[in-house]
Amino acid sequence: MNFLQVIFRGLWRRPVRTGLTVLGIAIGIAAVVALVGMASGYEKSVVNQLDTIGIDVVVSNMQGGIMPKAFEETVRDSIASLPGVTAANATLMQMLSVEDAPMMVVYGREWGSFTWEGLKVLDGRLPQNAEEPAVVLGKLAAEVLGKKVGDPLQIEAADFTVVGIVDGSSVLENGAVNLALPRFQEASGYEERANFVNIRVEDGTDVEALCTAIEAQHPGLRAVASGEVVGTSQGFQMARAMSWSTSLLAIIVGVLGVMNTMLMSVFERKHEIGVLLALGWQRARIMALILCESAAMGLLGGIVGVLLGAGVLAVLETTPYVRGFLEPDLGWSLAVRAVVIAMLVGVVSGLYPAWRSSRLSPSLALQG
Amino acid sequence: MPPSDTPSGELLYEAAGLTKEYDGGNVPALRGVDLRIRRGEFVAIVGPSGCGKTTLLNMLGLLDRPTAGTLRFRGRDLTALGDPASYRARDIGFIFQSFHLLPNFTIEENVQIPMFGLPGAPAARRARAVELLASVGLSHRLDHLPVKLSGGERQRAAIARSLANRPSILLADEPTGNLDSKNSAHVMELLQRLRVEHDVTLVMVTHDRDLAAHASRLVEIRDGCVVSDGLTS
Repeated sequence: MNFLQVIFRGLWRRPVRTGLTVLGIAIGIAAVVALVGMASGYEKSVVNQLDTIGIDVVVSNMQGGIMPKAFEETVRDSIASLPGVTAANATLMQMLSVEDAPMMVVYGREWGSFTWEGLKVLDGRLPQNAEEPAVVLGKLAAEVLGKKVGDPLQIEAADFTVVGIVDGSSVLENGAVNLALPRFQEASGYEERANFVNIRVEDGTDVEALCTAIEAQHPGLRAVASGEVVGTSQGFQMARAMSWSTSLLAIIVGVLGVMNTMLMSVFERKHEIGVLLALGWQRARIMALILCESAAMGLLGGIVGVLLGAGVLAVLETTPYVRGFLEPDLGWSLAVRAVVIAMLVGVVSGLYPAWRSSRLSPSLALQG
Repeated sequence: MPPSDTPSGELLYEAAGLTKEYDGGNVPALRGVDLRIRRGEFVAIVGPSGCGKTTLLNMLGLLDRPTAGTLRFRGRDLTALGDPASYRARDIGFIFQSFHLLPNFTIEENVQIPMFGLPGAPAARRARAVELLASVGLSHRLDHLPVKLSGGERQRAAIARSLANRPSILLADEPTGNLDSKNSAHVMELLQRLRVEHDVTLVMVTHDRDLAAHASRLVEIRDGCVVSDGLTS
């Protein structure tokens, strides 16, 4: 018999209670995994999209959170004239409820701009000009909306026809509704306005200097290299903060649950602890036993929680609220972090019960 | 000359003015006990219920601390020990009236439990436990949980456990208190045999005069004081 077996024997003495505590931690950790996985999935989707389209710099008004405030689309012209800029396109992006879909990303793209280039037509075609009341659906968007080429589609109060289904190589592109910028401006009431300018630059351009120049030219707008969009966006920072703070609540609930279980266990095992003290066990060893039991519950809860969280993400991925909008991201890093957090929950929860156990008088404990 | 002063064995315990009070001094349990115990002795501490026998035994095992007085073990002041775990693990073997075997561990594992505080590989711990259980006639019960054993068997397992770390002293608190007369006799015989085989000093608390007659020395306590201390006939 080794110390590990002593730990698990301690946990096994009350299997139902241990199981329920582990489940409590697991639910908390599943919440962490699901929330953080969704937030980081959204970040990943955006990064993939920028990579796919080949955007070097994004200009927007970041004050508006995830969906930046709109500005005059003519901003694009002055940016296009800056040295090093090879192309600058205005885009209007909104998250809207489209017909039966509760939330969809809708892009108004400048007709003929490079942002259309990454869309591979699977069925039908792209709009023929900027005036045509036509939409092109990403393949996931078509699936979610249940539309095919030739079907009508209403966006806000305007009527359009689906002219093509495309593969955009990123979940955001595949889940989006695309139409020519003027048509979307009209439909959404944002005439002559956009909320992004996507820029391509010449090789060797000093992107940082370009960004500084754009911001100097247009106070209130922010220009960010595509690789830094996620790190600098207030919206992403807010989403990350919200997911971690909600997770923190789940973790606190987990800590209280384990602490309650371990305290009950210490009270119930007062006699056993007295016997161990009488048999020459050091108080530090008894504290280690309680802490290890607690950490073991955390570890088990963490593993079960990650599996549960992965299951929740898999289910969420199929729901209309998420499908085509973001790609939940459960990487090894998140899984390992979640398990480490769960173990820490176990250790922190066990500290007070362990301290209580170390204060027991052996003669009194032996009396029960 | 009282038997505790017999110069034949090494002086193990030396208690002077040992006092224990509970409830802020309102409940005196021991009142200035003086006692010496030498190596190889078999001391029976007798007296009526509540006289302080178990309290004295708890003091000797440092399960409880005295309120006043001194207690030395091999010349070392036990009351000054910070954590007595090492003393309990290396020098003392406890035998309790209620056996105090851990219910979720097999008999063999129970015997291994005291050995966790000392160096030794799991295989060595197991071998020692098996050997001790064989010596108390429980080889066939190694994998049984305590609940599956009779009272006599449980006490034999507890005796095996008390010898796990090769202690120099066994402190037995009413070791036959929960046993019938037949099992009591077996356990007493076993204790006598193992005391000799393992060369341990035995201090046994009992209220049973017949049982105390097995001891070489009888210490009688009343109201927390030693009222007599002498060799048994």
